[in-house]
Amino acid sequence: MSLDATLNDWTKLRQTHPLPGSHPDLKWAMAIDLDACTGCNACVVACYAENNLPVVGKEKFAAGQAMHWMRIERYWNEADENAPEQGAQFLPMMCQQCEAAPCETVCPVGATNHTNDGLNSQVYNRCIGSRYCSANCPYKVRYFNWYNYPEQVKAWPEPLPMQLNPDLTVRTKGVMEKCTFCVQRLTDAKNNARTEGRPIRDGEVTTACAQACPTSAITFGNLSDAHSQVAQKWRLQRVELDKDKQLKDIDGSHPGLRGYRIFEDLRPYPSVMYLERVRDTQA
Amino acid sequence: MMSHTILGSLARRGTVRAARAWLLGVLGALGLALVSGWAWAGDKVEQPIEFPHDIHAGKMGINCMYCHTYARRSKVAGIPPLRKCMGCHENIESVKDKPRIKKLFEYWEKKEAIPFKKVHDLPDFVRFNHERHIQRFYFQLGRPVQEVCGYCHGNVAGMTVAEKVEPLSMGWCISCHQKDHPDAPAGTRVNFPRMSLADSPAQEPKAETSHGPNDCWQCHK
Amino acid sequence: MKNLQRRDFLRVLGWGGASASVAACGFTSVDSGVETVKSYVEPEDFNVPGVGIYYASTCTQCEGLCGVVGRVRDGRILKLEGNVASTINNGKLCGLGQASVQHHYNPDRLRAPLLRKDGELKPITWAEAMPILLDRTAATRDGRFAFLTGPVSGHFKVLAGNTTEALGSRQHLVYDPLSTRINRVAAEQVLGSGAPRLLLEQAQVIVSFGADFLDTWVSPVHFAGQYARFRRATEDKPRGTLVQIEPRMTLTGANADRWIAIRPGTEGVLALGIAHALLAARPSAAGAVPPALVTAATAFDRSRVLTDTGVSAEAFDRLVKLLQDRSPAVVLSGPSAEGHVHGYSNAQAILALNWVLGSVGKTVVAPVKSPFPQIAAESGDTAALRQFADGLAAGRFDTVFIHDVNPVYSAPAFLKIPELLPKAGFKVVFAQYRDETANLADLVLPVDSSLEDWGTHVAPYQGENLELTLQQPLMERLYPDGTRSVGDVLLEVLKRQRPQEYKGFADYYAYLRAALVANRAAFAPIDGDDEYFWTEALSRGVLHVKAGAEAHGAEHAPARLPALELDFAGATTPAGDPYPFTLAPAVRALRDGRHANLPWLQETPDSLTTIVWDSWAEVHPATAKRLGIVDGDILEIASASGSLKVQAYVFPGLHPDVIGLPLGQGHESMGRYANGIGVNPFRILDPVFDRRTGELAMYATRVRVSKTGTRTNIVSDEGWKSGNLKTQAGRKLVAVLPADKAKLSEEV
Repeated sequence: MSLDATLNDWTKLRQTHPLPGSHPDLKWAMAIDLDACTGCNACVVACYAENNLPVVGKEKFAAGQAMHWMRIERYWNEADENAPEQGAQFLPMMCQQCEAAPCETVCPVGATNHTNDGLNSQVYNRCIGSRYCSANCPYKVRYFNWYNYPEQVKAWPEPLPMQLNPDLTVRTKGVMEKCTFCVQRLTDAKNNARTEGRPIRDGEVTTACAQACPTSAITFGNLSDAHSQVAQKWRLQRVELDKDKQLKDIDGSHPGLRGYRIFEDLRPYPSVMYLERVRDTQA
Repeated sequence: MMSHTILGSLARRGTVRAARAWLLGVLGALGLALVSGWAWAGDKVEQPIEFPHDIHAGKMGINCMYCHTYARRSKVAGIPPLRKCMGCHENIESVKDKPRIKKLFEYWEKKEAIPFKKVHDLPDFVRFNHERHIQRFYFQLGRPVQEVCGYCHGNVAGMTVAEKVEPLSMGWCISCHQKDHPDAPAGTRVNFPRMSLADSPAQEPKAETSHGPNDCWQCHK
Repeated sequence: MKNLQRRDFLRVLGWGGASASVAACGFTSVDSGVETVKSYVEPEDFNVPGVGIYYASTCTQCEGLCGVVGRVRDGRILKLEGNVASTINNGKLCGLGQASVQHHYNPDRLRAPLLRKDGELKPITWAEAMPILLDRTAATRDGRFAFLTGPVSGHFKVLAGNTTEALGSRQHLVYDPLSTRINRVAAEQVLGSGAPRLLLEQAQVIVSFGADFLDTWVSPVHFAGQYARFRRATEDKPRGTLVQIEPRMTLTGANADRWIAIRPGTEGVLALGIAHALLAARPSAAGAVPPALVTAATAFDRSRVLTDTGVSAEAFDRLVKLLQDRSPAVVLSGPSAEGHVHGYSNAQAILALNWVLGSVGKTVVAPVKSPFPQIAAESGDTAALRQFADGLAAGRFDTVFIHDVNPVYSAPAFLKIPELLPKAGFKVVFAQYRDETANLADLVLPVDSSLEDWGTHVAPYQGENLELTLQQPLMERLYPDGTRSVGDVLLEVLKRQRPQEYKGFADYYAYLRAALVANRAAFAPIDGDDEYFWTEALSRGVLHVKAGAEAHGAEHAPARLPALELDFAGATTPAGDPYPFTLAPAVRALRDGRHANLPWLQETPDSLTTIVWDSWAEVHPATAKRLGIVDGDILEIASASGSLKVQAYVFPGLHPDVIGLPLGQGHESMGRYANGIGVNPFRILDPVFDRRTGELAMYATRVRVSKTGTRTNIVSDEGWKSGNLKTQAGRKLVAVLPADKAKLSEEV
């Protein structure tokens, strides 16, 4: 291959992007207000409760094998790392349900795909555990079942299995898992709405993390419903799902807007918009 | 080794031999089909009480959903609660001495649920929603109830206890979902293609009607 | 066989398309005749298999007492959510509340009563235990009885009090290891009420002296909801500003716009200094300020304050300017300011700032007055523990009941509770686990979890409505022969002691129902007969108490300016102390240790340090450098009262003279998720008490630090697997926008 051809191919690499309006009816998305997030971890525990996440214990946690689909990252300001006068910064991080997910393209068996309602699906019974998807994920939000947690690790001694949510499985060894935007709740909501012959109302269904959050920092809903809270937030912040660089960032207009997406320049087109944390510098 | 596979023989031998290999392959598949026809067809499951569907659904013509009442409003169709059986049978004097009825009353006296064996037991990683199917075929399209339930459960009105007569495997479910329903209201519309391709001409997105769920997460949990 | 199916699927494909269309011929995971499916027997109409039913109850994990609804499927409680009907939490629920289900399904729950025979606790049946309990109690003479409980409210408080009274005693001791009594007494003194309503969302500035209102102080979910609105800007109100002043960064401090590290114990000095500066700028305001404060403040000029507190001149000036420019404000006092010999004076000085700032009647208002003081919350204190210890030492108790507290664990070693407890004649411990106190009991009675019990609760901190929250079982008892409701047991004791009064109540459920139905006129009306009222109340989970017209929403200031008793003697520590550091015992998710056996809470990383499954000693970076301490060094932290060995964690959120230690770990006996994990800082607390209230001064323990020479790897979520990243390393992860640039009022 000539150098020219290599360079030519390289510039064409990942030039795909989601077409606007590809999810005309349902596109699940989130907006997370980092000024409201206090880092309390209510969302983390709610996620454990809802999604049958195993508790791995100290040793496996040390080996990096924790299973928290939602995690709170805590950062200190680089400028005052030794004297944090502006407090800490907290980042709730979970699967961003990218429209051009780097994980979807590399699964050897097609266990991770994009659903019609805009989620990145993870099909446990198809997964063979190559872990290529988690290698590709820039957010590192994919978690692998290194052990057979029920039987090997005894993560649920009796009677703890009675707490498990029957709407989803307990994953077996060798399978990748990640945040699903509580797809079991979404499926139930879609089902109820279909039976009643109406579209899903905004606020009718929400994820476990959004429901628990004491400051309502997480807003979840249907981005394709122009009247939903989350769609209004994205619109007001001038963040568009199918752009890898937002217009407001290119022309620097609207500097007071807070909405942004993490690693947007890597072009995965995530479905989670974060609102910048605000600090009163005059305090 | 290549020579032992059908493909291998096709590659190495000539056309006639290839055709023979192909015929063998087809006959083998058909034979497999016959054999497998037995493999999934109803091994009659032994139940604590041999409930006669033929009397209730057959002779009496009771609507399936009279007893399996949850089918239209839940993911699970449900075995009817004991109260449902007693609702009729505490008033039917003529059969009170029958052995199966006596057994029923024994359970009711003890307020103990009858431990039926699950006949159509999908694996735990499958999410099958009865409500959606009943809503579509029975309520929306108005098909007769025994045809609707019978499509998957067979001619229950001709059985005593239920028997599994269809494979209920993913391929079997998909075979129905792949039928084209041009008039069906779309599930969740998606504009296809979803992603642009760098050096393809700009594509006109077209809404694809759903043939039923075409994303894995509708049915797999 | 099942595990092979995925591989077989691929093999089948390899045979060519033909076989795939014959539906994987028998290579299917669909079973038939293997599993059993049981129907219901006689369900309610609304009980549809596959659809969850939500029942309302109360979360009892902390004193917030939020309303919850439990999702029940097939007769099992799966998960809790917040109850939107409660104005305490408005449908939200914290991680502690979510973890209640793990108390209920905990594998280490006691499943049978235990009786001490020949020096050992042996399992017995309830049929054997009850007569022993009733006989021993009935034999108690001359009121030689004590009932040590945790914080109480509602009808359980009534029963506990009545039980104590029926046994001729006045010793219903309400003990809270994390007592907020100093705050309550000071608030009563200065603000006219022990638990005033704090309208945080209406404030422009919140100055909190160590009150961790977002995580562990008073009613965190309620305040978090207010905080969210406080931060939002509208056309009429800009975004609020939070300043946190404390010796050790709490979660609330981590969320402050300005976090100020202060020399421990000098919070009152700072408050007086602020008062001094504000009054100096506006002398006319002095008329609305308690005279004692005006007088005291004159001595606290800027330079003295800066020297005493260690706060920088820049920080002090900015804070004063902020309070001058923005209004209304609210000033809060927290445990780190109150936990000293002069803690009461600190609290008064801090709370009195609300007068200087004109907050009283605006953002600090009187709470709705309850018409039922007998069920109002009694929050407990540590003085109760000292009373208990004194009583034990004097041999005053023949029979002792202990419920909902673990004094053998949470009492400081100097009180010698493990040695004193055996002096009581007959010790009955009501517990869910075989914890440290249960191990010293004569009779251990296993109680129902909060998700299988009845109750009524009145939260110590009420929102805009005065509420009584109901607690009902969210499923049948897990161990029908193993546990009983503590209310039922007390009722049995009362029936024996006072048969005439209590014989009409079959059980605790009947007692509660009768009590509420009899008083239904006191609640916001529910039209219908008594049966309807009761079921409607249970389904809502919350009853709004009708308060008198004059008591509701009384947004007025107390009629008179309060008199203050300020006494800062002994506030400063002499130089050359052999114990150069102040210990900051931090309240974290495990609270007073009662939640240590919940795996979700052990596995959830600590918000500030991300450490899991362990304790740690927080050391300031400058101190660490000076002493040559790095992350993971095992340190010996020693006070005059005891010592601990614990891993070091270099943590910037500290005053350099402070060592932080989280509370709640270090159990020797509780369960598999708690035993042997971490250390228990309660043990090494010094015998220092607040001068005025007698409360244990939690932030007055002095320690010295030495390296043991060993080191361990800290297990945390920011650990080596995450690249040890404590900063964002130049990436835009959490972007921060200055408030003057943000256009918040335009947001949705």
